[in-house]
Order: sequence, then C-alpha cells, then structure tokens
Amino acid sequence: MPPIITIQNVTKEFKVLNRREGLKGSLKDLFSRDYKIVRAVDNISMNIEQGEIVGYLGPNGAGKSTTIKMMTGVLEPTSGEILVGGNIPYKNRTKNAQEIGVVFGQRSQLWWALPLIESFKLLKDIYQIADREYENMLEMYRSLADIEPLLHKPVRQMSLGQRTLSDILAAFLHNPKIVFLDEPTIGLDVSMKSKIRELIHALNKEKNTTVILTTHDMGDVDALCRRIVIIDKGKMLYDNDIEHLKGFFGSYRTLKIRVEGILTERAEEVKAQLPDFSVSADEEWISVLVDEERATVMEVLNQLRSSFDIRDMQLEEISTEDVIKKIYEEGVE
Amino acid sequence: MKRKGLGFYLKIYGKILAQDLKSKMSYRADFIISTIGMIFTNIAGFVSFWILFRNFPSINGWNYYEILFLYGFSLVSLTPVQCFLDNNWSLRMYVYSGDFIKYCFRPINLFFYYQSEVFDIKGLGQLAFGIGTLIYSWIKLGLGFTPLILLKTIVFLITASLIMMALQNAAAATCFWIQNSFYLLDLTLKFKDYAKYPITIFSPVFRFIFTFIMPIAFIAYYPSLVILRPDEVPLLSWLSPLFGCAFFWFSYKLWMFGAMKYSGTGS
Amino acid sequence: MKLKKYLSLTRIGIIESRQFRLATVIMVIGNLLYLIVVYFLWKSIYASVETDVVNGMTFTDTLIYLVLATALFNFMEMYAVWEMGRNIQSGKIVLDLLKPIEYRRYLFWSYSGSFVTQFFFTFLPTFIVVSVVTHGAVPLGINLLYFAVSVILAVLINYSIDFIVGTICLYTESIWGINIMKQVIVLLLSGATVPIAFFPEPLKTVVYYLPFQSIYNAPLTLLLDGSPTLETVVTTLGTQLLWCVGMTLLGKLFWKFSLRQITVNGG
Repeated sequence: MPPIITIQNVTKEFKVLNRREGLKGSLKDLFSRDYKIVRAVDNISMNIEQGEIVGYLGPNGAGKSTTIKMMTGVLEPTSGEILVGGNIPYKNRTKNAQEIGVVFGQRSQLWWALPLIESFKLLKDIYQIADREYENMLEMYRSLADIEPLLHKPVRQMSLGQRTLSDILAAFLHNPKIVFLDEPTIGLDVSMKSKIRELIHALNKEKNTTVILTTHDMGDVDALCRRIVIIDKGKMLYDNDIEHLKGFFGSYRTLKIRVEGILTERAEEVKAQLPDFSVSADEEWISVLVDEERATVMEVLNQLRSSFDIRDMQLEEISTEDVIKKIYEEGVE
Repeated sequence: MKRKGLGFYLKIYGKILAQDLKSKMSYRADFIISTIGMIFTNIAGFVSFWILFRNFPSINGWNYYEILFLYGFSLVSLTPVQCFLDNNWSLRMYVYSGDFIKYCFRPINLFFYYQSEVFDIKGLGQLAFGIGTLIYSWIKLGLGFTPLILLKTIVFLITASLIMMALQNAAAATCFWIQNSFYLLDLTLKFKDYAKYPITIFSPVFRFIFTFIMPIAFIAYYPSLVILRPDEVPLLSWLSPLFGCAFFWFSYKLWMFGAMKYSGTGS
Repeated sequence: MKLKKYLSLTRIGIIESRQFRLATVIMVIGNLLYLIVVYFLWKSIYASVETDVVNGMTFTDTLIYLVLATALFNFMEMYAVWEMGRNIQSGKIVLDLLKPIEYRRYLFWSYSGSFVTQFFFTFLPTFIVVSVVTHGAVPLGINLLYFAVSVILAVLINYSIDFIVGTICLYTESIWGINIMKQVIVLLLSGATVPIAFFPEPLKTVVYYLPFQSIYNAPLTLLLDGSPTLETVVTTLGTQLLWCVGMTLLGKLFWKFSLRQITVNGG
C-alpha cells in the first residue's frame, strides 16, 4: 500500500515586513517598508503510512504549523510536492478536507452556541455521513468516553477539557483517513490530559486512522507516538522511531541535585562549573544531563560536591523531553 | 463523494439557521435590545429625512414621495446583506487573530461555510420598515399595480441586493491583504446611506464613479427608475441585473482568492 | 510623574494606530468621498429652493457645518462602547481593573493616542480643505480659541456618554444594540446629520436641553460665528462645562454602583 502522506522536498517561504521600533519607527513605516524572505519550511521530505501516529515536534516557530497547513491544503508550498491520500491538498482543498480531520490548538471548530449533538448533526450533513456510519460512530464514542453529559451542552458552556474532547470527537466523526492534532492537551490538567491521550489512542486503534500530532508535551509523545519527526528552523532534524532516538542518546543520564538557596539562581553557578553539560532547574531540582562517554555520573557528582553542599540527589534515565531538548540545542550529530 | 449542489447547500443553511434561531432565543434580552436598536436606526433615518423635507420640498426634481420610494427601496435591498453576510464584519478579527484557519478544513465551500455561521435576524425589522415605506410611497405616487410591475420590482430588488452584497464582500475581503479592513467596511456602510439619493445630483465625473467604480447608484437609483420613471429608463437600468450578477460573482471570487492566499498569522 | 504614565498610554495609542498604513489612506480617501457626496447633495438641495438662505444658513454655512461635524465625529468616535463591551464579555476587564489607574481614566488615555492621530490625519486636513475651498468662509480669529476649548469639552462629554453606555454592557450582552442606539441618538440629536437650525421649533427646544448638542453643535456654532458675543461664548461653554461635569459624575457613580452590584453578585 502506498503511503497515505508523501512529502517531497517541500519548501515554504513567506514575505515578512520588517517593522521599525518605537514612535519614530512606526512613522517611518508609514512611508517605506522593507521586506525579507523567511523560509519557514526548508526542503523537508517524509512518508507517513496509514495507521501511524506521528509526533511532529519542534520549538515554537520551527515550521510545524506551516507544514500542517500545507498538508491540509490551506497553504501552497513554494516548491516541492505533497500528496495526501492521493490528492494534492492545495489544488483539491474540499476533496482533501473530506479525508482529513483537524483539531487546531484551542480554536474550537464547533458551533459555539449549539449543543454538541447539534454540531454533530450538522457535521453529519456537511460530510455526508451515512446514517448507519454516524450511529455506529456515536455508539463507539459512547463506549470510549462518557459523552452523554456533553452532548446536550452548548460548546460555549464547556470547560476547556470538555471542549477539546468534543473537538477531537468531531474531527473523527466522518471517519477520516488522517487526523491532524495541534497541541491537543495544551492547558489541560493531568487527568484530562491522560483522558485525551487514551481517547486518541483508542480512536487510532479502532479505525486505523493516521494521526499527526504536534505538541510540546512529551507526555503526549511517550503515550502515543512510536515515530517522531523533529523540525527546527524549517529543517528536518530527525525522523525515526522514538526507541531509536533514546538509543541514540543512551549514554546520557540525568543527575538531579538539590542545594541551598533558590535553585534557578544556583543553577547558573552549576552551569559555570559544567560548561559541557546541559543544565536546567525547576523549584525542586537542578538537572544535569550527563554524557557518560565524557564523564561518569560519579565524576560529575564529585566535582559538584567540591563546590556545592548537596542536600539530596536523584538519578534518572534520560527522558524523551531531555532528548528532544538536546536535539533542539545541538542537533543530531 | 456525492456532488454538492444547490440543494445540499440550501439544506445545510436551513439546518444551521434553525439551530441559530434556537440559540438566539436563549439570549432573549439581546434579541430585544438589538431589535430596538434597529428600529431606532430606522426611525432616526426617517426623522432626519422628514426634517430635511420640511425645509426643502424637492431634491433635483424628485419629490418627497419619490425620494421616499428610493429610501424604501434601498432599505429592502439592504436586507439580504444584513441578514446573510453579517459575518463579514467579524472577518478581519478572525484573520487578525488567526482563527480564520478553522473555517478552512471543511469539505464545503469556504465562503458559504463562513457566512452561514451568522444569520442576522435584525435585518428582518429593516425589511418590514422598507416594505412599509415602499408600499406607502407606492400608494401616494399612484403607481398602480400589475403582475408585471411586481415582477420588475422583485427582479430589481434582487439586483440591488446583489450589488450591495458585492460591495460589502469586496470591502471585507480586503482584510486578507491589509490588516484592518474595518474602515473600508464602515465606508460601504456609510455609502449605502447615500445610495438613496438620485444620482443626477452629482457632477458627471462622480456619476461615472458611482455607476462603474463604486456602483452605489445601482442600489436604489437605477433599479427604481424602472418603476418610477418608466418613460425615461436608461439602458443601464435594464442592464443592472447583469451588472448585479457580475459584481457579485467578482466579489465572491475576490473573497475566495483572498481567503486562499491568506497565510494565517500566528501559529 | 503622574502625567507620564498617561502620556505613555497616548504614545502607545499613536504607535498602534499607525500600524495600519493602508487603513489610514483608505480613511482619508473615504472621508474625501464622503465630503463630495455631502457637497453635491446639499448643492442640489439648495438648488431646489428659490432662496439662498434657509433657516438662517446659506449653502456654504450648511456645508461647512456638516463637513466639520463629520470631521469632528471621526475625530471623536473611539468605539469605547465596543471596547468596554468586548472586554466585559471576554473577562479582560478584570485585568484592566487591576491596573493602578482608575478604569475610566485608563480607557480615556488609551484612546488619547488615536485622538491625536485622528486630529492630524482627518480633522486638520478637512478643516484646511474647507477653509481653502470656501475662500475663507470660516472666520479665523479669536473664535478658533473658543472652538478649541469647546472641542475639548465636547470630547469629554462624548467620552462620558460612551462610558455610561459602555457600563450598561455590564448588564447585557447586547453590545451591538446598545451601541447603535447610542450612536443614532447622539448623531441625530447633536445636529451631526442635519444642522439643528433646520429642526422644527418644539424639537429644537427639546434638543437644546439635552447634552448631545454640546458635542457637535456647540463647537461648530462657536467656530462659524466670526465675532461671537461674550454672552454666546459664556452660555455655550458654560452649558458644555455643566454637562461635562454632570456626565462625568454620573458616569463615575454609575460605574462604581454597577461594579459593586457585579462584585456582590459575583457575576
């Protein structure tokens, strides 16, 4: 079977206005403007098979949304080729739309004032879903989540979590071949996050739907994706299994220490001590990503002990989050 | 995939409309206040009209009732734009915030999907006012009543509506290029107030502009001539239904072109 | 520095409103076209009567009056009701209430930037064009000073009215309805659409007892009267001042009262 999505050497460029700063600058802008070309997506290629869940990752402004907009037919690539389910999305936007479902950030695509069930009924008409398929789908939804209380609630009265859940259900309703999920768990609490993940997982299993997931939450990635694609500054950095990625950085472990004082401030000192390692801090721990090929954890710990009064410590195997962070910082070398 | 013809779109619109009305009923206070606002607008329009004509018995050879006819005609022909295309007013906000993207993922016509989201029921109040005015001036002018004249009236009302819709579409669509199309939209709104005066008051240059460049003369003047001055109907009046369709088609294409070109701000 | 924080709001407002270059151009073109329409309309209205002077106003008087009224309107209109309404509905108002400036003042000074730009980009050009086109029919003397004072008072009165109307949005979701009612009433009763001189007698008297004529009619009367008597100046400015203080107080009290109402009810 051919891949459901083929992307070949795709590049997208934008013309961006250079705005000047301040009052004087804005007056200058009134009379002359200069533009620069920004390459949001730079020569990327990938194939995605039916039924895959692909984590599409990258820091803010990496070009993720741009790629997704091209796959959904909203944007036309500057060069290169995209085929989604055999269609060129940009040329057959409406035909392509029939085959895909989209949940875009926190922008609900449901009718704000209507109860969810009415939105579903409208979608049924818009996507021309047959009665039986529609009933089956609702039946399946009922088995996956407690949707009864949501069905008769207007979308505007829902909590963010309920709305996200509804949006995801709406995106799968017409049994699309591909669903694009952009930051589906953003702003949700832990239990809602795991509910949403379970739902996505079940829907993918049930209908063999391809899911393209962009997220900043590595919990989503760990729970759902086998394959990840990483992009930064428009360029593709990584495209492979998540296990492979971890093996890649297998010689890394995270050393967490706790010292006196405000940790975020003291982390700076640790950084100064260990210029070769990636250091970060939160309220509880200062984390050092240790490359065991350069120095063992014990060596690092000893070095730190000489200058810091370490109160507590923990050792962690590398998390996806750390790996991704490392890739953002250094690339895959 | 089944073909999506007019029937499909009518059915969808009907359903959305029904749902929309249902939800509007739950905001009864808003509905009442908006309706009062609409009535206020129309009454104020009449009052200024009346104050003016207290001081001046005619304008450029058009008497009170004839101008009143133009006025009523423009009110009726403005109803569709008010009812069906009111979401154009929010377009710039959706584009500016990037929320417009959410309309782009459905397998139906984008323009239709976007506009179907809002049906402005207030327009119906205006319609009632307009029809009332039209009938009143009709009787006072002694225009008579035949099926043919009724047909003419309806055809030309539709024409005028198409042109007003076209103007508003085009104005709204500019927000895909310039970030704030509000002023342009506001401009079309202002200009429709002037559509109710006979175009002969202007100098030839502006007559040309208001006929071909900003075709507000088609909103009331040219179509009304067919009813009011059947002996001196210019060719342009007869051509106006064609113009109407062409303008509307053009504005629709512009709107769609802009929407497709739109690259989406933000993420 | 207390003033500094207000002035920096002004500055930001200027920068924000300059972000949209094309919008500015459209606004200027729009105003020009609008002026043209007003010109031709009233020219033919005056041409339709035998006399040159109607209700004590010549064609030139009326034209200057209406053109400057429109320019003043564009200069003063700041859509504060919309802003308040939207902020209230979205809950953003809470953030604004937390700012270390009283909300009423904060909003006013946020708009002050657009006052400045609007003044230079719409009012001043219009004023100059009108002066030149009418060959000095606008007297330039001490009246300019009275006018300036009167305009400032008018801005304050207009803002107070907006603020009072905006406060109503705490009680209802119907921003559109509230706003349109306000706009219609203000425009008609302030003499911005038809000069108050044209109003029939009883209505004229009523209008003079309302605050609205202080917004457009008062400054324009002072401007167009080359050598106003001291009595005229004092009564006009005095009336304005009275309304200004009255409406400001009313606005403040209403806002305070409403806010307490809302916080008590936990809305």
